[in-house]
Amino acid sequence: MATIRSYHRPQSIQDALELMARTDVDATILAGGTVVNGRPEQDPIDVVDLQELGLDGIEPAGDHLEIGAMVRLSDLAESYFIPALLGELAIREAPNTLRNAATVGGTVAAADPESELLAGLLAFEATVSVAQSIGTQIVPLHSLLADRSQLGLGIITSVTIAVGGDATAERTGRTPADRPIVMAVGRRAEDGSFLVALTGVDTTPVLLGTGDLGGLRPVADFRGSAQYRMELARILTSRVKARLGEDA
Amino acid sequence: MKLTVTVNGIERNFAYQPHESLKAVLRREGYYSVRFGSETGETGAAAVLLDGRLVSAEILLAAQADGHAVDTVEALAPGRGFDPIQEAFIVTGAIQSGYSTPAMILAAKALLARNPDPTEEEVRDVLTGILDRETGYLRPVQAILRAAAVLRGDEVEPVEAWLVSALTGPEVEGPTDLTRPLSDIPMGAPLVIPSPEVPETNVVGKPERKVDAIKLAKGRPAFTDDIEMRGMLYAKMLYSPHAHAHIVGIDDSRARELPGVHAVLHHENTERVRYASGGQSYPNPLPYDQVSFDNKVRFVGDRVAVVAADSIEIAEEAVGLIDVTYEVLPAVFDELEAITGDAPVIHDEDDMDGAHDAARNIVHHMEAEVGDVAAGFKKAHRVFENTYRVHQVQQCPIEPHIAIAYLDSDERLVIRTSTQVPFHVRRMVAPLLGLPVKQIRVIKPRIGGGFGAKQEMLIEDVVGHLALATGRPVRLELTREEEFMSSRTRHPQTITYQTGVSKDGLLVSQSMRIVGNTGAYGTHALTVQQVSGLRGLSSYNSPNKRFDCDVAYTNIPVPGAYRGYGAPQALFALESHMEDIAVELGMDPLEFRRQNWTKVGDPLDIATRLGEGASDMEVVPVITSSGLEECVAQGERAIGWHRRSDPEWIAPPDRPHIRRGIGFAMCMHGTAIPGLDMGAASIKINDDGSFNLLIGATDLGTGADTVLAQMAAEVLGVPLEDIVVYAADTDMTPFDVGAYASSTTYVSGMAVKKAADEVRRQITERAALMLDLDSAGEVDLADRRAFAADGKAVGLDEIALHSLHQDQQHQIMATASYVSPESPPPYAAQFAEVEVDIETGQVTVKALVMAVDCGVPINPITSAGQVEGGMIQALGYGHCEEMAYDQAGRMVNPRFGPYKIYRADEIPRIEAYLVQTMEKSGPFGAKAIAEIPKDGVAPAIRNAIGNAAGTWIDQLPFTPERVFNALQST
Repeated sequence: MATIRSYHRPQSIQDALELMARTDVDATILAGGTVVNGRPEQDPIDVVDLQELGLDGIEPAGDHLEIGAMVRLSDLAESYFIPALLGELAIREAPNTLRNAATVGGTVAAADPESELLAGLLAFEATVSVAQSIGTQIVPLHSLLADRSQLGLGIITSVTIAVGGDATAERTGRTPADRPIVMAVGRRAEDGSFLVALTGVDTTPVLLGTGDLGGLRPVADFRGSAQYRMELARILTSRVKARLGEDA
Repeated sequence: MKLTVTVNGIERNFAYQPHESLKAVLRREGYYSVRFGSETGETGAAAVLLDGRLVSAEILLAAQADGHAVDTVEALAPGRGFDPIQEAFIVTGAIQSGYSTPAMILAAKALLARNPDPTEEEVRDVLTGILDRETGYLRPVQAILRAAAVLRGDEVEPVEAWLVSALTGPEVEGPTDLTRPLSDIPMGAPLVIPSPEVPETNVVGKPERKVDAIKLAKGRPAFTDDIEMRGMLYAKMLYSPHAHAHIVGIDDSRARELPGVHAVLHHENTERVRYASGGQSYPNPLPYDQVSFDNKVRFVGDRVAVVAADSIEIAEEAVGLIDVTYEVLPAVFDELEAITGDAPVIHDEDDMDGAHDAARNIVHHMEAEVGDVAAGFKKAHRVFENTYRVHQVQQCPIEPHIAIAYLDSDERLVIRTSTQVPFHVRRMVAPLLGLPVKQIRVIKPRIGGGFGAKQEMLIEDVVGHLALATGRPVRLELTREEEFMSSRTRHPQTITYQTGVSKDGLLVSQSMRIVGNTGAYGTHALTVQQVSGLRGLSSYNSPNKRFDCDVAYTNIPVPGAYRGYGAPQALFALESHMEDIAVELGMDPLEFRRQNWTKVGDPLDIATRLGEGASDMEVVPVITSSGLEECVAQGERAIGWHRRSDPEWIAPPDRPHIRRGIGFAMCMHGTAIPGLDMGAASIKINDDGSFNLLIGATDLGTGADTVLAQMAAEVLGVPLEDIVVYAADTDMTPFDVGAYASSTTYVSGMAVKKAADEVRRQITERAALMLDLDSAGEVDLADRRAFAADGKAVGLDEIALHSLHQDQQHQIMATASYVSPESPPPYAAQFAEVEVDIETGQVTVKALVMAVDCGVPINPITSAGQVEGGMIQALGYGHCEEMAYDQAGRMVNPRFGPYKIYRADEIPRIEAYLVQTMEKSGPFGAKAIAEIPKDGVAPAIRNAIGNAAGTWIDQLPFTPERVFNALQST
């Protein structure tokens, strides 16, 4: 487990932000704990558990849905309001035991390049609310993933998505439930615009406005060379496009 | 610091540290059902309910649970008896080792609390967080569905063997239709094809409950770590970060000065005694190439030093304070490069003992020939040659290696360890510790899976050294990463077959060349490769056969024993090669094999030249039983073999990038090591006519204790519940080599039967005395009574009291041992159905069907469980598991997930058929079953991919990019 020096459970966002700002603690936010607690031994950290902050609601707001940062993936999957594909991706994100602890905010903060749920959130035009000492900032998810320094000492409080449109996913993995080597989510928004998000082809999941694959920086590993990942990105993108009636 | 948690309905206050996991605190407070599986929570062995949700307690901080409710399996039926979920797990055979059973039962409880009528998909989903290396998930899923039915008040049928009519043989009239699958198979029923040769029995052959069901279903303290010892120290190893290096300096002063550290051991302060770590019979096969701590490291993960301290945290900190200076050496990882003569020499030490040619990294060289292979090739119509490459995988028992050592009140060293080989461990560890065997006691509690990884003396010397150095109990448990990198694995091999075939498709000459990779040490190097040769050259008849093998040292983590033991490697190559030949010849792949495979009466000629026990073999063994034809027919029907020649099925018009295929592999295994492996058993009667059965055999989750007790009960005419089993403890039980080589049912079983026969003889004599009969020969035992021919009877309880207390007092008891002169092979037919995405290379395995001739299954449920679980392990081998390394030889995926083992929601359809034959040399007709399910899945998948896409891949595993590349090049 991680080397955890102290545990804090603030009762308000304000208390949490003050903890984050302290210079005598190396504050790390603890959402579900499934990522932070399992990190290999490193320098000691002080964890700030957000469980008492009431960030676990899912609120529809017109054609958008605001998902509290501490909503567990299992609750997200079962929510009446969640688009079907995102519910499926929440289930695929982690096995049952971890899904019952892991949260939406934690998933965003972890920025796993293979996260199917993050790719889904990107395709659903997610924005992230970050509470800072100066007030709450709204940051598009793709921008936050590209530059995580925007989080600063802030706390992710919610993720807001657009709910309309049609969406589908295609993936290639070693086994059916495996983290895909590459996965593509395609979505046609209600205004007719088309979005593709991909995992496994860059250091974070990426959103491609038009499906243009130029500029990707795939990271090779034993499951897939860079070249193979690019090939998969091409095939899977064209499949989601075809399925949604877009010219491939 | 204190936290408040409501555990199982009772508010409790626990002391905790901020870094402690919920699992650590619960175990310290005595909730032993919450078990370690990995640092990162994926195994789910530590699953608990937190406010009713199933979560992994090893990845949650204890502090996160403050103010919440936690439920563990200890809350279910806390007194005697079972909760309906526990009962369902027992009767369906969902429990093998039982290590993760409490977690699965809690998963069921959480699911059924909110959904009393779940679908199979929902049941599979709730198990996704609990990795099971044993059952293949089939029976746990059935258990939960059954429990749901019981809790809803539905009627459920008893789980019994479902008898399937034979499709072949003299009793079958007329042609059989293999295109129509069986329907309405009852849920959970093991499928048995009975043989008329098998006599009627009362306990043997019945789906009895496991004798260890209570402790396993209820999460009771049963495993190595489930013990509380005052003053326990915690050990932590320092492992090599380099693949190959000399240790030129080691400074442990900072570690020793750390408060709470009690011992630091390494090569400078530990005696250098050479040994081989494989748990095998005396004398252990050469080479003796290991010492407890060496001044050289040979792979990333090799031992450097060990610390014992008051806590695991202190031990970890101390390990970081040991200053080691390495002289890093060039390394070699590939077996073919290692033996060229130009590679770095891995064992260059002066006291190296027993390698064939250490300077060329060749630890063993073997040759064996029957007939004249070269002449055979000359006579052949065609000669085929191909090379196959099999990779490295790990056994992945969910309970990693763990051992606890302490000095008892007589100052004897007790080692409580998760081992398959307690007697070998005692004998092998003694010289390393400088103790006589009599000063050591090895206790094997329940084992949370082993699969060969625990057929080793792996960490027992370390805890022994530390207990002797400190006088305190010492515990060493490997982390999951350490289990991957520093325990044992499967041997990679490069295998080349050359086969000469006559005009009519008969094999006339066959040679097999293997270069095996045994990593840094030669444990099991000789015998695994011998078994590869034996299996690779025994399945099919050929008048001329030749085996040629080099085993290479390299700088990869150490291969050793892994369920199948050389056979899965050999049969991947063989069954791929046979398929290739059939395709080349344009013959039906089944028919080509059929005319060549070994049948009853055929000689196993190469067995006298290869393999353990071969030197004692005076006559060429012949096949005495085979149900292979029936296995093939059952499998053909179950998989739908006829579809593989339908182009519309292979290329479904509505899914243009999908191709479907079905593949086959024939499997033949061994049963025990003839002339070498010995098992022994003691049986004694108790006052009430029950019996203690004491065995050295080690049930690692297979159900061996149950099967052995069934045999004793059958002979003694009592129900299974009258047999009290105890195993294994070197102070208490007779010797047994342990659980390996598919030997327990056959060898230890025969020992039990012999002991029971002798006890039965003593009982009948006593009965004759009590009933005033002329001869004990008139007495029969049944229903807990001894009957005379005229119907007069006396109860076994009366016999026990009479013999123990009343007249001519005598303890009715016997000990017997058994060594088998032969090794009758079980046979099997393995089928696989796949879908190949021809654009991406992704392979999806849709179905696995295996029909096995294991002789008479002593317990059809545990036997079926061996086949189902074994097939899923084998699926991982063929499809997705691999140990991957960076260029420096460091494993890059020592964690579940990146190292992918199948989980509950992605299992293909699996069916296991048990085809009975009567093997006269085995107890009650039994042959082996535990290993053969590992042999055929990989080649069957390979051949199915070939059927689907016309691409034949000669290297494992069939991961997407490999298949993609193969598809591109065809």
